[in-house]
Amino acid sequence: MLQYVVKRVLLMIPTLLAISVIVFTIIQLPPGNYLESYIAELQAQGESVDPQKIAFLREYYGLDKPLPEQYLHWAVGMLRGDFGYSFEFNMPVTKVVGDRMFLTIIVSFVTILFTWAVAFPIGIYSATHQYSWGDYGLSLLGFLGIAIPNFMLALVMMYVGNVVFGTSIGGLMSQEYIGKPWSWDKIKSVLEHSWIPVVVIGTSGTAGMIRRLRANLLDELQKQYVVTARAKGLPPRKVLRKYPLRMALNFFISDIGSLLPHIISGAEITAVVLSLPTTGPMLLAALKSQDMYLAGSFLMFLAFLIVVGVLVSDLALVALDPRIRLQGGVVR
Amino acid sequence: MNRRAHGRAVDSIAAIVRLAAIALLVMAGLTATAARAEEPPSLAADVAAGKLPPLAERLPRVPLVYQPPPREWSLGRYGGEVRTLMAKDRDIRMMVVYGYSRLVGYDEQLRLVPDILQSVDSADSRVFTLHLRPGHRWSDGTPFTTEDFRYYWEDVANNKELSPFGLPQALLVEGRGPKFELIDATTVRFTWQDPNPMFLPALAGPSPLYIYRPAQYLRQFHAKYAGLEQANALAAAAGSRTWAGLHQKKDEQFRFDNPELPTLEPWVNTTPLPSTRFVLVRNPYFHRVDSAGRQLPYIDRIIVGITDDKLIPAKTGAGDVDLQVRYLRFDNYTFLKQGEKRNHYKVRLWEKALGSQIALYPNLNAEDAEWRKLMRDVRFRRALSLGINRHEVNEVVYFGLGKESSNTVLQRSPLFRPELRAAWTTFDLKAANGLLDAIGLTARDANGLRLLPDGRPMELVIDTSGESTEETDVLELIRDSWRKLGIAMFSRPSQREVFRKRVFSGKSVMSVWSGMSNGIPTADMSPNELAPTAQEQLQWPMWGQYYEQNRKGGEAPSTPDAQQLVKLFETWRNSDSTAEREKIWQQMLAINADQVYTIGIVTRALQPVVVRNNLRNVPPEGIYSWDPGAYFGMYHPDAFWIDTGDNR
Repeated sequence: MLQYVVKRVLLMIPTLLAISVIVFTIIQLPPGNYLESYIAELQAQGESVDPQKIAFLREYYGLDKPLPEQYLHWAVGMLRGDFGYSFEFNMPVTKVVGDRMFLTIIVSFVTILFTWAVAFPIGIYSATHQYSWGDYGLSLLGFLGIAIPNFMLALVMMYVGNVVFGTSIGGLMSQEYIGKPWSWDKIKSVLEHSWIPVVVIGTSGTAGMIRRLRANLLDELQKQYVVTARAKGLPPRKVLRKYPLRMALNFFISDIGSLLPHIISGAEITAVVLSLPTTGPMLLAALKSQDMYLAGSFLMFLAFLIVVGVLVSDLALVALDPRIRLQGGVVR
Repeated sequence: MNRRAHGRAVDSIAAIVRLAAIALLVMAGLTATAARAEEPPSLAADVAAGKLPPLAERLPRVPLVYQPPPREWSLGRYGGEVRTLMAKDRDIRMMVVYGYSRLVGYDEQLRLVPDILQSVDSADSRVFTLHLRPGHRWSDGTPFTTEDFRYYWEDVANNKELSPFGLPQALLVEGRGPKFELIDATTVRFTWQDPNPMFLPALAGPSPLYIYRPAQYLRQFHAKYAGLEQANALAAAAGSRTWAGLHQKKDEQFRFDNPELPTLEPWVNTTPLPSTRFVLVRNPYFHRVDSAGRQLPYIDRIIVGITDDKLIPAKTGAGDVDLQVRYLRFDNYTFLKQGEKRNHYKVRLWEKALGSQIALYPNLNAEDAEWRKLMRDVRFRRALSLGINRHEVNEVVYFGLGKESSNTVLQRSPLFRPELRAAWTTFDLKAANGLLDAIGLTARDANGLRLLPDGRPMELVIDTSGESTEETDVLELIRDSWRKLGIAMFSRPSQREVFRKRVFSGKSVMSVWSGMSNGIPTADMSPNELAPTAQEQLQWPMWGQYYEQNRKGGEAPSTPDAQQLVKLFETWRNSDSTAEREKIWQQMLAINADQVYTIGIVTRALQPVVVRNNLRNVPPEGIYSWDPGAYFGMYHPDAFWIDTGDNR
């Protein structure tokens, strides 16, 4: 077991290295660099640019150096915990991201809880009452959730929120609470604003989870051990809880791998439409303005989370389900 | 002393007399009742607690008295906050633009007047003597003196590490910098060997040339004062590689992203980046007063929310702001108008100062030899211009609110002449076809398209930056009329950076962008847009690059008219009289209009400005212009005020 873990961890190093090369290359693929898009943006707004200043910045940011050298500088820096410099914000990347991370985690966490809270009962209900009216009705609702694009739902909800409930458009709280210490009013304001993103981001996830839970549970419910348990006279609820539901949860554990990065970068488009102060829009803006170290470090962080998440979910599966063994010639 | 400088001297003498009179009044008032110049209520508590000195000690001995402008204007009341929106954290710099506190600045009649400075004396545009206001202070209360100028000159501008690329362009004449003299605590002098007409306009710019620094604050980061080791240690702790890097970062008067950095603007930023909400509070040491002697600004706080740029019109329409202009576009007008009643604001339409809302740029440096030859042929450019039905474009795209025009100065500019606007802009297919025939483009293919000399059909591809449907709408209309000239036109949308690259490298034959950025110049503003002087000029990027990089890169202008324009521009740079400069401007404008280097279409485009009903002193009509004007800056947002309706 320990040997397996060590091997998996060691394997992460070349994986992350390869990812970092790919990330850097992709960020550099569009023509130009940060300064060029910066100049273009200023000129599009009718502003002028001082060439002297640009020359200074080019040298200071090291944009005049060859690409491999820029890559090495970034990669070596990351090993030492220095994620580079954000050109856009004129400060180290870690400082830029710090503030937003908290709100992002809150929104994503609440969204995940919402997804689970809604999907679980519905999934179980529609599996145990297969082909009933309730099953059809709830499935229809779920499919609607998958079919409506998030951004459109966000726009509609924002309009309704503003016109019917008088909630200010976009953001996670009313303007006056931003940057203030936490208080009851602030929490109230956050709750007032956060139901829109939570519902919007949650709907598509919910629908997917209902379908998967239903399918997994249906598989198990028809197995013989369920019949045996019922025959022995166990109450139906206990049967459900004790055996098939647990078996059906494997997919749930393996989802953790993709859940971790989702917490950080979840639902960029929705976040942009709703103008949420989360990390998603920041990542998008960094990619657009070619703020390469900010974007690169972001993507690397996501990659790291995926790699770790997959490992954690693999280990959790082994722990939970005795049928799963560490096979594939790794242990033997 | 020339006429202009003389005029200025007379002006400033008159101003001083006026100011002295008012200062006397103020002082008399202070001694008599001490209630004459009231403390802004939001500061009164701090003054009473002894945290702030009283008003008389905070103002310069001779403050700038803001004279009511010739429009509907009223003395204001203190208090309140104004909310506005921006799309990026970096946009906080707009508050420096709106604040528009400059050494000298433009007033609403586009005259250069002293602002932070008490007065400027200029002799032949060679010698500039700047007089500061005695007793003027930075926003943290430290004195603003000539030491701050010396610090900039000796320790920043002439420091190899802080300015590795030498002095800023506006301080150089033929590559030579000025002589700097420190005369006393409130007087400095800059002396050039040759005239430098760029100097004062550069100081008055929306992103101005800062020739002073808050020395007392910045010394702690400077190796010369803090010691190399100490400065580098400070830099390392802040995550910067060198002390120069940290100094640069702390010293961003225009970026406005360092709340610790003292400023002279009316409002001081209190929020560090990154944030989604910036709070700016009044500068208790601001140097302007209203005509009743009360310190400006009237408004206590400015709240800048950061939100996605596409949401800004929506949030504006929902009444989330008090004053908004940036990121609103003309096509939002009807939507914004809809929310007026419900959300208690008014949409005003200001005039943009662009020479032309949209202009076509034939690329004289195109890579394709055949097209290049045509683009350099004035008959071809004229034919294209004559082949555009500007009236139709105006009616269809701009509801007839625009004005058909070539790409030249606007009517508001003293340099405006109607014949420049009309040059080669009448819709005349017959004349256009005649010109094309005269070039020898008579052969046509089966579809009626003219053929290039090498036999290719004339399919003209216009590059667009793909940002607005407005451009493509206009091009669509032009396509139809050019088809009647035997020219097929296609537009090629791309991304902004790609677009620029294609034009700069000559891959693009023709491009579309907005026209002259300063459509309201006076003779004392630089005519650099009219001559090949910068790579960003889409009609001759390589010629511009040649000038920009001191004849080291790019390509030398090869047509006599373009060479003439460069020569004229250089004469303007060396000219010491306004009369001569005006003559040069007129010549340059005439050459540009006659040569049709850029094809203007419609001008007088409008910019929606959303103003809450109780916000006073915002002009109902104005010019929306970067330089000169600084957007709101010229109209003194420090004198805007909120009418709460009670009779306080």
